Amino acid sequence: MGALSLLIFLPMIAVIGILLLPNRMGHSFKYLALLATVLQFGLAGYLYINFNGSAGAFSEVSTYQYVEQLPWIRLDLGSLGKLEVDYFLGVDGFSLPLLLLSAFVMLMAVGASWNIEKSKKGYFALLMLLNTAVMGIFCALDFFLFYVFYEVMLLPLYFLIGIWGGARREYAAIKFFIYTLFGSVFMLLVIVGLYFSVQNPNTGAHTFNMLYMMNPENYVPGSFFDFLGNANEIFGIPARMIGFIVLFVAFAIKIPIVPLHTWLPDAHVEAPTPVSIILAGILLKIGGYGVIRICLGIFPDAAADANWWLGLIGVVSIIYGALNALAQTDLKRLIAYSSVSHMGFVLLGISSLTAEGISGAMFQMLSHGFLSAALFFLVGVVYDRVHDRYIYNFRGLASIMPKYTAYVAIAFFASLGLPGFSAFIGEAFVIIGTFNAESMNTGIPRWMAIFGSLGILLSAAYFLWTLQRMFFGTTRLKGGEEWVKELKDVNIREQIILFPTLALALLLGIMPSLVFGVLNNSVLSLLDLVTPYL
Amino acid sequence: MISLTHFLFVSACLFCIGLYAIIAKRNSIMILIGIEFIINAAILNLVAFGRYDKINYSGQIFALFAIVLAAAAVAVGLAIILNVYRKYKTINPENITDLRD
Amino acid sequence: MSDLLNISPIIGSMLVVLLPFLAFLIQAILGKRSQSGNIALVSIILSTIFSLIFVFAEVWKQEPISANVSWFTIGTHTFTLGILLNNLTVLMQLIVCIIALPVHIYSKSYMKGDPGIHRYWMYLSLFCFAMLGLTISSNLLMMYIFWELVGFASYLLIGFWFTKESAVQANKKAFIINRIGDLGFLLGIASVYSMYGSLNLVELFGKDGLFYSLPASSDGWLTFTGICFFIGAMAKSAQFPLHVWLPDAMEGPTAVSSLIHAATMVAAGVFLLSTVFPLFNQTVLLTIAIIGCITALISAYFAISQTDIKKILAFSTISQLGFMVVAVGVGAWDAAMFHLATHAFFKCLLFLSAGAIIHEMAHLKEANKLDIDPQDINNMGGLKKWMPKTFILMSIASLALAGFPLTSGFLSKDAILISAFEWAAQLNGLYFLIPITLTLVSILTAFYIGRLIFKVFFGELKIKVERIHLHEANLSMLGPMIFLGICSIFLVFSWNPIAYHHSFILTGFSITYPFAEIHSLHIILPIILTISSAIAWVIGWNWYVKGKYPLNSGNKLLDISMNQGYINEFYNKIFVKSTLNLSKGLYWFDQNIVDGFVNFLATIVRNLAHFSAWIDRYIVDGLVNTIAGTAYYIGHLLRWVQNGRLQNYLGFAFTVVLIGIIYLIIK
Repeated sequence: MGALSLLIFLPMIAVIGILLLPNRMGHSFKYLALLATVLQFGLAGYLYINFNGSAGAFSEVSTYQYVEQLPWIRLDLGSLGKLEVDYFLGVDGFSLPLLLLSAFVMLMAVGASWNIEKSKKGYFALLMLLNTAVMGIFCALDFFLFYVFYEVMLLPLYFLIGIWGGARREYAAIKFFIYTLFGSVFMLLVIVGLYFSVQNPNTGAHTFNMLYMMNPENYVPGSFFDFLGNANEIFGIPARMIGFIVLFVAFAIKIPIVPLHTWLPDAHVEAPTPVSIILAGILLKIGGYGVIRICLGIFPDAAADANWWLGLIGVVSIIYGALNALAQTDLKRLIAYSSVSHMGFVLLGISSLTAEGISGAMFQMLSHGFLSAALFFLVGVVYDRVHDRYIYNFRGLASIMPKYTAYVAIAFFASLGLPGFSAFIGEAFVIIGTFNAESMNTGIPRWMAIFGSLGILLSAAYFLWTLQRMFFGTTRLKGGEEWVKELKDVNIREQIILFPTLALALLLGIMPSLVFGVLNNSVLSLLDLVTPYL
Repeated sequence: MISLTHFLFVSACLFCIGLYAIIAKRNSIMILIGIEFIINAAILNLVAFGRYDKINYSGQIFALFAIVLAAAAVAVGLAIILNVYRKYKTINPENITDLRD
Repeated sequence: MSDLLNISPIIGSMLVVLLPFLAFLIQAILGKRSQSGNIALVSIILSTIFSLIFVFAEVWKQEPISANVSWFTIGTHTFTLGILLNNLTVLMQLIVCIIALPVHIYSKSYMKGDPGIHRYWMYLSLFCFAMLGLTISSNLLMMYIFWELVGFASYLLIGFWFTKESAVQANKKAFIINRIGDLGFLLGIASVYSMYGSLNLVELFGKDGLFYSLPASSDGWLTFTGICFFIGAMAKSAQFPLHVWLPDAMEGPTAVSSLIHAATMVAAGVFLLSTVFPLFNQTVLLTIAIIGCITALISAYFAISQTDIKKILAFSTISQLGFMVVAVGVGAWDAAMFHLATHAFFKCLLFLSAGAIIHEMAHLKEANKLDIDPQDINNMGGLKKWMPKTFILMSIASLALAGFPLTSGFLSKDAILISAFEWAAQLNGLYFLIPITLTLVSILTAFYIGRLIFKVFFGELKIKVERIHLHEANLSMLGPMIFLGICSIFLVFSWNPIAYHHSFILTGFSITYPFAEIHSLHIILPIILTISSAIAWVIGWNWYVKGKYPLNSGNKLLDISMNQGYINEFYNKIFVKSTLNLSKGLYWFDQNIVDGFVNFLATIVRNLAHFSAWIDRYIVDGLVNTIAGTAYYIGHLLRWVQNGRLQNYLGFAFTVVLIGIIYLIIK
C-alpha cells in the first residue's frame, strides 16, 4: 500500500472505527476523527516536503510522484474491445499543494465540529467519508476512479447539509446535490466518449487512463474525440469543443462561476460551520483543479480556443460576486459571495494560459482555501454565541470582543489582498499574468485584467464596510445586555484553529516559494502541453 | 246456479287475500295466516275440480291431504316464529334482514 | 569595535527598515503590557542614526548600490527582494526617519493616558517599517507591497479611536480610495512587466537599463502605464479627484496626521513618480502637470474657509502636494523632491503646533465642561499670550509654507515655480496657465495660512470662560517642534538664502532639464511673490484681526469653499450610491433572475412531474379503473333487491311471475 492510498484510506479506517464503536462512547468519535486527520496532515506534509518538483511532460507517468498503478477492472467486451480501469494514483505540483490544503482544512473542520451534539456517529462517519473522497479526487489519475471519488463526495455532503444544516437545509442540500449531479452526469458521457477514443498504446485496449488521454498519439484515428483532423460535430460545434464545454460546465459549477453559482450561497448559509469550511476550503478547489488537470490537460486544443470566454466568465464572476457581496446583510452570505468573486480570479488566471496567471490561480486557490475557511469559522464563532448573523444587528463588537475583532480584521485584510498575506500574491499574479497574456498572444485581452482588478477594489469595499458596520463604532447590539453576556471573546480552542490558519496565510504571503517551488515545473509542463495549440 | 266459476272466483279472492297478507303484513303470524289462506284457496279449487272425478274423488282426497299438510305446516311455522322471536325479540319480518348480502 | 561600526550601507538600510518591524513585533506580542512606547522610540532613534551615518553619508552623491536575493520563481522568471540605494532613496529614507523621530517623541506626551496607547505604538512602528521599506525597495513589486502596507498602517491609525463613527468612516474611505490608486499601481506593474519582463528598478531604469534598450510595445501602452502609475500616486498623494480622503483622515490623532498625512506617506506618491520618472512620455507628463495644478488650486481655495484647524492644514498639504506633482509634470522631479523635503519639515511642524493648540483647547473644554469643538479656529484667538513659543514656531512654519525668504519653503517653492515658468516659456501659449495658476495659489497659500495664524494667535479668546488654563506645551512636545522649526530655515538645505540652485538636494540629483534657464525670472518671481504675500497678509490682518470682514456668510463662493466644492456629496451620490444601488440591483437579479431561473426550472420540472403523475393517475390508471368500475356497477345494479326482507323477495318473485304471465298472455 503506497503513501497516497494510505492518505486516502486513513479516514476510512476512522469511519470503520466510528461505526463499530457503540453510541454511548459518542465523545470518542471526535478524537478518532481528529487522530485520523492529524495523521493525514502529517503524512501529507511529509509527502510535500519530500516532493521533488522535477520537470517532465504533463502526460508522462514519470512526471508524477508517489505513483501507484494496479489493474482494477479488466473485462473482455467482445467486439467493443477490452475494458481497462486502473487504480491509478499519482501527484504533481498541481495536486500536492491541494492535498496538503485539504488535509489542513479537514483538520480545521474536525476542530470546528467539536461541539456537534446531533447524532455524532453519523456526523463524523460522513465527515471522514467525505475526507476519503476528497483526497481520492486529488490523487486519481484514472478518469473512472476520479469519477467514482467525485460522486462519492456528493453523498456525505448531501447528508451533512441536509441533516445538520440550518433552517432551509433540505432546500439547500437538494439544490447542491442536483446542481452538481447535473454537471457530473454529462461528464460521464464525455468520459465514455473519451474511453472509446483512447487506446492504451501497450495493450491496445480502450482505457480510462487520464495520462493516455492527454497524449494525442493515443487517440484512435477517426474516433469521436480524435485529436487531429477531427471533423465530428454536434449541433455544428466540433466534438472536442463539446467535450471541453461539458467538462468545463461540470467543474465550473463547482468553482462556481456566474451564472452557475446560486447553489453556493444557499449551501454555505445553510450548512453547519464545519461543512461551510469544507465547502469553501476544498470543494471549490476541486472545480479549479478539474479545469486545470482535465479540461486543460485532456482538451488543450479546445482550451486554447475557448480561453477568451473562460476569461470573460472569470471577469464577470469577479465583479458580479463582489457587487453581490456588497449588497448582503447576512455575514455568511457575504462571505459566500466573496468566494464567488475570489474564485473568479482563479478562472481568470487559468484562462490567461501564462505561467504567472496559472501560478497565480493555483496560489489563489490555496490562499482562498485557508482564508475562506477562516472566515466561515469566524462567522461560526459569533453565530454559536448568539445565533444571529445579520450585520446590522451588531455594532461596535471591537469593544467587547477585541481578540475576535483582531482575528476578523486580519482575516478580512488578508482576504482583500493586503500584501504580506497569501491572497495578495494570488490576485496580483493573476492580474499580472492576465495582463501579460496579450504579449504572449494567448488571446486574453488586457481589459480583462483591468476589469478583474476592480474586484480587488470592491473586495476592499465590502470587507471594510462590514468591519465598520459590525465591529467599530459604539457598541449597540440587537440582543442588548443579554448578547453582551453571550458574546465572549474567542476561547482557546477557537484560537488554536484560527491562529495556524492565519499564520499559514501570512507565511505563504511572505514565502510564496514554498508553493511555487513545488508548483513551478508542473505549470511549465502544462504550458508546454497547451501552447502548441495557441 | 253456482257454477265452477264462482268457486274459482272465491278461490282467487282467497288467494289474493292470502298473498296480500304474506307480502304486506308486519306480523309473522299474520303471514302464516296468509299462507293458510292460500292453502285453503288451493283446497277449495281441489274440491271444486273434484266434481270432474266422481269415480275416485281424488279432489276431495287431495284436499284432505292438503289440510293435514297445512296443519303440519302451521305447527312448523309457529315453531319457527317462536324461535325467531326468541332470537330477535320481534316477529316483524321487516326487522329480520339476515338474508341481506 | 571598529568591525561593529563598519556596517555596509545595504546592511545598514536593512537595519533601518527592520528595527521598526522588530519593535512592531515585540509590541504586538506584549500587547497591553507595552504602554510606554520606549520600544518604538528606541527603534526609530537607532533607525535614524543608522540611516544618517551608515546609509545617507555613504551613498549620497556616490554610485548607487543595490543588492537582491531571489524570492520566488514563477515560470522562468525569478522575482527578487532587494534594496536599492541611490540619491533618491537614501534621501527619502532619511527624511522619513528624521520626521518620524520628533513625532515619536512628541507622541509620548501627546498620547499619554489614552486607553489604546499600546496599539498606537504598535501601529506607528508598523507604519515606520512600511514607509522605510517603501523608500529603499529595489523592485516595483516590493515597492507595491510596502505601498499598500503604509496604506494599511494609515487605515489603522486614522481609525485609532474606533468607537468614533466619523473616524471609522474616514479610515474606510481612505483605504478604499487608496485602493483605487493601488489598482493603478498594480496595473502599471503588470504593464511594465509585460513590456519589459522585469520589475527591478536597476534593470529597468539603470544605466543602459531595459527601458532604454527595449523599445516600448506601443506608445499607447506606454501612456497607459504612465497614467496607471500616476493614478497610484494620485491616490496616495491626494491629488484631485482622489484627494477626498485626506481631509477626512484628520480624524486620526494629530501626531499621526503630522507624520503620515502631511510629511511622509502622502509624499510617497511624489516619490513614486520620481522613481519611475523615465516611464512618462509627454502626454502623461502634461496630464500630471494639469492634475497637479488643479489640485493645488482647488485645495488652496477650499483651505481659505475651513474652520477646523486640521482641515486647513490638510488642504494646505494637498495644495503643496499639487505643487510637487506639477514639478514632476514639468520634468523637474528634483525640485519636487526638494519641496517634498522642505515641506515635510514645516508641515510636520504646523501639525505638531496645531496638536499642541488642540491639546490645550481640549483641556480647556474639559476643565470648564464646555460643548465646543477643540479644533475649531472660531473658538480660538489671542493664544499668543499663553503659548508664545508655539506661536513663534508656527509662524516660522507658516512663513516657510508661504514661501517667505530665508525659509526653506522659499527655496523649494521657487524652484518649482521657476521651473514651471521656464517649461511654459518653451512651449508657449496655454501652457502658461499652469505657472500662473501656481503663482496665484502661492498667494492664496499666504492668505489662508495668515488667516489661520491671525485667528488663532491674535485678537481675543472667542470662548468666554472664567478660568483660563492655557499654557505652553511641555518640553517633550516643544522639543521636537523646536527641532522642526530649525529645519524649516534655509540653512539646513542651502547656504544661500536666495538661490535654490545651491541647495544640497538639487546639486545631489543634478538632472538636466529639457528647457532653458531664464535668468530674469530668478529675480523677478521671488520679489513678486514676496510682495504679493505681504499684501495678502495685510488684507488678512485687516479682515481677521481688525474685524473688518467684508464677506457675509451667504456668499456663494465661500459656501462652495466651505463644503469642499461639494465633491464628497457628488461622489457619494454618483459613485457610492450608484455602486450600492447596482449591487442591490444585482443581488435582486441574482435572487430573482439567476436563482429565479434555477428555481423556475425546478418548478417546471416539478410541475411536469405533477402533470405526468396526474396523467398516470387519471388517464392511464383511470382506464383500468373505469373497466373495473363498470363491472362493479353492473354487478351492483340489482343489488338493492337483496335486502333481506322475505316479503320483498316474495313480492319480487310474484311480480316476475306476474310479468311472465302477462308476457304469456300478451304473446
